[in-house]
Amino acid sequence: MNYEIVEIFAVVLFFVSLFGLITSKGVIKGIVSIIIMEISVVMFFLSLGFRSGILPPIGGDVGQNAADPLPQALMITAIIIGVAVTAVNMTMLIALSRQFKTTEWDLLKKMKMDE
Amino acid sequence: MLPYFVIAPIFIAVFLYVFSSVRAAKVVAIAAQTVFTGFAGYLFFLVKAGEIVTSIGAYESVMGIVLRADTLSSVFVALTAISFLMAALYSYNENEGKLFWFLLFVWQGLLIGIFLTRDLFNIFVLIEVAAVVVSVLVMYNRDNRSMYDGMFYLMTGIIAMQFYLFGVGYIYKLTGVLDMEAAAVILAQLDRSSLILPYALIITGVGLKCAILPLFSWLPKAHGSPSAPSSVSALLSGVHMKSGVYLFMRVQPLFQGVDASTFFLVVGIITGIAGFVLAMSQNDIKLLLAYSTVSQIGLIISSLSLGNEYANTGGLYHAFNHALFKAALFMGAGVLSKAYGTRNLDEIRGVFKRFPLVGVAMFMAILGITGAPLFNGSISKYFIMYGTTWYITWLFILLNLGTITVFAKFSAMLFGRRGDEGAGQQTLKFVRKVETDLHHRDAVAKPRNYSEAIPINKQIAIIALGLICFVGGIFGSEFITFLFNVEVSIDTAGYLEKTAFFAGSVLVGILFCKYFVQKSKLLKRLRAIDFGFRGTCVALGGFFATVLIVLGFF
Repeated sequence: MNYEIVEIFAVVLFFVSLFGLITSKGVIKGIVSIIIMEISVVMFFLSLGFRSGILPPIGGDVGQNAADPLPQALMITAIIIGVAVTAVNMTMLIALSRQFKTTEWDLLKKMKMDE
Repeated sequence: MLPYFVIAPIFIAVFLYVFSSVRAAKVVAIAAQTVFTGFAGYLFFLVKAGEIVTSIGAYESVMGIVLRADTLSSVFVALTAISFLMAALYSYNENEGKLFWFLLFVWQGLLIGIFLTRDLFNIFVLIEVAAVVVSVLVMYNRDNRSMYDGMFYLMTGIIAMQFYLFGVGYIYKLTGVLDMEAAAVILAQLDRSSLILPYALIITGVGLKCAILPLFSWLPKAHGSPSAPSSVSALLSGVHMKSGVYLFMRVQPLFQGVDASTFFLVVGIITGIAGFVLAMSQNDIKLLLAYSTVSQIGLIISSLSLGNEYANTGGLYHAFNHALFKAALFMGAGVLSKAYGTRNLDEIRGVFKRFPLVGVAMFMAILGITGAPLFNGSISKYFIMYGTTWYITWLFILLNLGTITVFAKFSAMLFGRRGDEGAGQQTLKFVRKVETDLHHRDAVAKPRNYSEAIPINKQIAIIALGLICFVGGIFGSEFITFLFNVEVSIDTAGYLEKTAFFAGSVLVGILFCKYFVQKSKLLKRLRAIDFGFRGTCVALGGFFATVLIVLGFF
C-alpha cells in the first residue's frame, strides 16, 4: 500500500480548513476550522515516520524495526497546545457573545466600531 | 546557565502570583527585573568571548534541544531585559492585579526562549504560548473592543503558526533533524525545487509575526487597542515584534538555496509605504503609533534583505533602536491620554507647557524615529542608506519622508498652549470641574485625582528611554561595534549629506502635513480600511501562493 496517501490527504485537509476559515461567517466555525487545521498538521507529522512493516516504538523488542518516535512526541505537545488554545478561544467567544449577542465576525466588527 | 534565563522569569512570576501582598510583589518584581537586566548584560559580555551552547536533557546538540547564545541573540536578550524593566517601572503605580504581573513575567521568559532556542519545534511552542499570554494581556481590562482585538490576534496568530509547523514538518521530512544549524547543513545540499514549499510555509508564518504587507491587520488591533495597558502596547511594539524580525533573520540561512531577498526587499518597501500612509490617516494617538510600527518593520525587513553588510548592520541597529523609541512613545502616549482624558490627537495640545519633562523625552524619541542628526535613528538609517544603490536610496528617502510627515502630525500635540485643545477638551474640563465641586461639597469624599501630575516612576521610565535614544546617537558607531561586533565607521561628509537630506525632508514633511494630511478627505476614508478576520485568512493564503509562484517561476 502506498502510504503517501496519508501525506497527500493531510495537505488537502489543510487547505480545506483554510477554505473553511475564509468562507465561514461564524466565529465557532472558524474555531472548528482551526482545529481541523491542527489535525491536518498532526496527520502530516505522523505520516513522516511511517514505512511499511514497522512497529510502534513502545515495549521491549522492536529493535531496528521501530518507527521514528520523535514525530509522535512532538505531536503530543502540539495537540496539548491546540486543546489549550481552543479552550482560550472559546472562553473569549463566550464573553464576547454575551456582550454583543452575536457570534458572527462581520457583526462583531461592526459593533466594535460603533463603540 | 542558559536555561535559567528562560525559567527564572517564569519562576519569579509564579512566586509573585502566590505572594499575598500585591504592593510587596511589585517591589520584588522591579528588583528582580533590575537584577535580571544585570545578568542579561553579563551574558552579553560572556558571549563576546565566544558562543555559549547548552543542551537541555541528556542528548547532545543535534539530537537534543539546544539553547545557543551568540552575539545576535544576546543583544536581543539584553533588549528584552531593558524593555521589561522599563515597563515594570512604568506600571508600578497602576492598580493592575497580580495576574498582570504574572503574565508579564511569563511573557518575558517566553520571549527570551524564542531568542535563545535553535530548535524549530521549540520556537513553535514558545510562540503559541506567547500568543495566548499576549492576547490575555491585550484584553486585560475586559473592555469589549479589546476582547475582539485579543481574540483576533490569537486566532490569526494560531493559523500562521500552523503554516509554520507544516513547514517544520517538511524540513523534518527532508533532513530528519529539528536543530537549525544541523538542518541548514543538510538543506544546503538539496536542490532548490524541494526547498520552495517548506520555505513558503515557514515564511508565511513568520511573515505574519513580522506584520509584512498583507498580513499586518492584527498589529494595529493588538497594539492600538484602546483599553490595553500602555506598557503592554510598548512591549508588543518594542520587543514582541522583534521576535518576528529575529525569526525572519534566523530562517534565511536555513534556505540558502532559495534566494528570496529581492521579493522581500519589494515587500518590505511596499509595507513601509502602506504603513506610513495608513499612519497619516489616523487620529487616534495609539493607532498612529501602531501603523508607524508597520512602516518601520517594512524598513527593517527591506534593509535586512539587501544582502549588504552595511545595510544589514543598519537594519539590526534600527530594530534595536525602534524598540527603544517606540516604547518611549507608547508609554508617553499612555500617560498623555490619561492626563487629557482623550486619545484624539486634535484634542491634545501644549504638552511642553504642561508636562515639560515628558514632552522633552517624547520629542527625543520622535527625533530618534525620524532620523534626526545626533539621535540613534540617524545612525541606523545612515548605514541602511550607505548600503543601497541609487533608486533604492530614493525609496528609502521616501520612507523616511513619510515617517517625518507622520510624526509632524504627531508632534503637533507637543506645541501650542493649553487653551488650544478644542471643544471636546473644554467639555471634559467642565465635567471635571463640576465633579470636583460636587466632591468638595460632599466634604467626606476627597476630590478625585485626575492625574494632574505624572507619577515619578512613569517619568523616569519615559525619560530613561528618551535619553538612551540620544546616547545611542552620540556614540552610534561605538554602539554598533559594541553590540554586533562589526567594525564600522561613519564618514563625516556622508553624514553631513544625510543631515542636509533630513533638513530638506523635515521642511517638505511639515508643509505636506500642514496642507495635505490635516485636510485631506481621502486619508479619512483610508482610516476605515480593515481587513477583518476572513480578509486576513485570504491574505495568508494569498501570501503563501504568491511566495510559491514567485519562487517557483523566477
